[in-house]
Amino acid sequence: MNAMFEPFVDVVPSFFATLSQGPLTLTIFLHTIIVLPMIWIYRQEKARLEQEG
Amino acid sequence: MANSYLNSESKKLATWYFTVAATLFGAQLLFGLVAAIQYVVPSFLFEILDFSVARMLHINALVVWMVFAMFGAVYWLLPDETGIETVGIGFGKLLFWIFTAAITVVVLVYIFVQVGSADEMSIWFIHEGREYIEAPRWADLGITVVALGFVANLFMTGMKGNRSGIVTVLMADMIAFAGLYLTGMFFTDNISVDQFWWWWVIHLWVEATWEVYVGALAAYGLITMIGAHRKVVEMWLWIEVSMLFGSGILGMGHHYFWIGTPEYWWEIGALFSALEPLPLVAMFIHVLYDWGKTQGEEHAKGQNRSVITNKPAFTWFVINAFGNFLGAGIWGFFHTLPQVNLYTHGTQFTSAHGHLAFFGAYATILIGMMYIAVQGKNGIKVLNHTKSSIWATSMIVGGVLGMTVALTIAGYVQVLVSRAQMGATWSGYFDGQAGTWFAQGMDWRLIMGFVTFTGFLFLIKDLLSIGKATHHAR
Amino acid sequence: MAKKSVWSDNRFWQRSAAWITGFASVLLIWLTFDTTAQISMGTDSDIQNGVTKRVPGPTVINYKITYEMNKKRQHEIPVIGGANADGTSSFQEKEKFFGRDDWSEEEATALLHLGKLGSQVKNCMNCHTLLGNGAYYAPDLTKAWLDPAWGPEGSMQAMTGKNTKEEAMAEFLQNPSQYPTHERMMPNLGITAEEAKGLVAFLKHMSTIDTNGFPRNFGKIQGAVNGK
Repeated sequence: MNAMFEPFVDVVPSFFATLSQGPLTLTIFLHTIIVLPMIWIYRQEKARLEQEG
Repeated sequence: MANSYLNSESKKLATWYFTVAATLFGAQLLFGLVAAIQYVVPSFLFEILDFSVARMLHINALVVWMVFAMFGAVYWLLPDETGIETVGIGFGKLLFWIFTAAITVVVLVYIFVQVGSADEMSIWFIHEGREYIEAPRWADLGITVVALGFVANLFMTGMKGNRSGIVTVLMADMIAFAGLYLTGMFFTDNISVDQFWWWWVIHLWVEATWEVYVGALAAYGLITMIGAHRKVVEMWLWIEVSMLFGSGILGMGHHYFWIGTPEYWWEIGALFSALEPLPLVAMFIHVLYDWGKTQGEEHAKGQNRSVITNKPAFTWFVINAFGNFLGAGIWGFFHTLPQVNLYTHGTQFTSAHGHLAFFGAYATILIGMMYIAVQGKNGIKVLNHTKSSIWATSMIVGGVLGMTVALTIAGYVQVLVSRAQMGATWSGYFDGQAGTWFAQGMDWRLIMGFVTFTGFLFLIKDLLSIGKATHHAR
Repeated sequence: MAKKSVWSDNRFWQRSAAWITGFASVLLIWLTFDTTAQISMGTDSDIQNGVTKRVPGPTVINYKITYEMNKKRQHEIPVIGGANADGTSSFQEKEKFFGRDDWSEEEATALLHLGKLGSQVKNCMNCHTLLGNGAYYAPDLTKAWLDPAWGPEGSMQAMTGKNTKEEAMAEFLQNPSQYPTHERMMPNLGITAEEAKGLVAFLKHMSTIDTNGFPRNFGKIQGAVNGK
């Protein structure tokens, strides 16, 4: 387990520090939640285009 | 304004803004030269106009001329985009005079008062001593009023007239631009908090709102100068907005590595800002693609003429597309990762990036807008290059590139000697400054500064005379 | 005719732009709340109770400051008043600052306030870097308080004729061009004795800010390096 998960490294515990479990975990999480909802926008727009077409 | 072909008051106001912008651009270069000379000859103007004062004038003139030119460019394109005269243009003109008068007073105080005693009065009336936003607090309040007035002009016009995609983006972007300035005005004893909010202004201006502004301006330029299709251009614009704000807003983290802020900013800053060059690549490809596409359509019709209706301006727009990518994108990426930035932060590396990025991303396209205004004011259908426009472009671009390379090499010495070897102390700092490559870098930076300034003189001569040349299509 | 692709549809990109911008802004604001809570300035009672803050209270000027490699964090951290077994601040060892190590919270706060104002009004940032930000014409001041040049082994105390670090710094700040160290000199900025005291307090306080190990190896390497 010790090799899989980093012990808490930030000085002050916080939500973001918790997500920071090693190189890039926090930033990849943030990128994902920003980009993923575009799938939903894509589906809506596809449905709209099909209706119009 | 004799012999002007302009019948829009908004466009007339734009030319006023451009005139002040070009003047301040000259001031920026002059004080930059003073500071560059001081690196080479430290006794130059010592205790008369010290480096701190020259540099403050250098970077403040930079920010202010760009803001003037940005306001001017919006007043220029609004009637074209919305199809109506700018609403409240009289108010806009009043704001222009207030803004110009305020800036004049600020500059005179910088030059002749320079420093005060350590109290709130000095912060209110001399300067705030915070890089890029040094303006004293009274001027801060004034600038906020002027900026909000400008935003009001833009919103009223956008809501009354035809609201194109470009205008919609500008409206959202400019309100953020004006609002962000407010976060840089208060005083605190806590320097970490101070710099935290200071970056809200600096970073969210130059790496977010200003970049989106440039995207909108480039879109306008492509439509007006080469007749690119609005639908295609505006789709690109929305993609650019997604990518610029998507990477730029949290890319702010790369300023929060070392100012006392928590460790989690390391990775937020690293990856978001590492992606910041992406939209800049997209913008470059987009400009060249549209150019090739419209020119190709012309060829298909059997026409051989160029699709460009304003050669000098379009040249500057293309230089912008590439310079933005090179200066902001590549030179920024060089030192954006924390493991690199630990050693490059606060060295001439940053300075090299600053010079090429401000020039490539902003100076270029705003100079292009000045040429568009010259074309419009003189009622010219196709504006061609002159000898001066070519000299100006080559010398300014060559000069800034030369300065950037010189500063980058100087930065290498500083990083290796002052930082990596010597651990950043006082004596380590001066060991780095004494390095041969560093000293040579500073010499070359000065020489390239003079080249840039000569190019600027050609530019001014050209902007004033190109409209009268006879080889344009009228 | 083939169906129109969503990827070339303006509305899709417009909505995506709005979503991304809005959500990234929300995240930034959330992070800002988290960060501002962490970088708010500590108090004297934090120091008394041994609570380490990223930005400690102004009374740290009563304590000895060092910059030590921390095993757990793998970079240097400011250590206030000597180190605990795990390398963090123990807030025990005091150090006189202008002859006193009992500056009250009010006095220390007032001194820091004067120093921070002075740092702005005297335009430090347009030659020096503070926390790495500013101009590159003069040395970085982030950990200037810990610079060996000002210590007992350094040259500045002898040059200014003072016996302590803080007095040497204050003397230099008041008459910088009298004590040139290099051809490039600091100009006289009309700094008064009181302002100089404030500025030195500001510098000492700044050296206690947890900058995540910036600058690396500060003051650890002595002697000339063949960098010419």
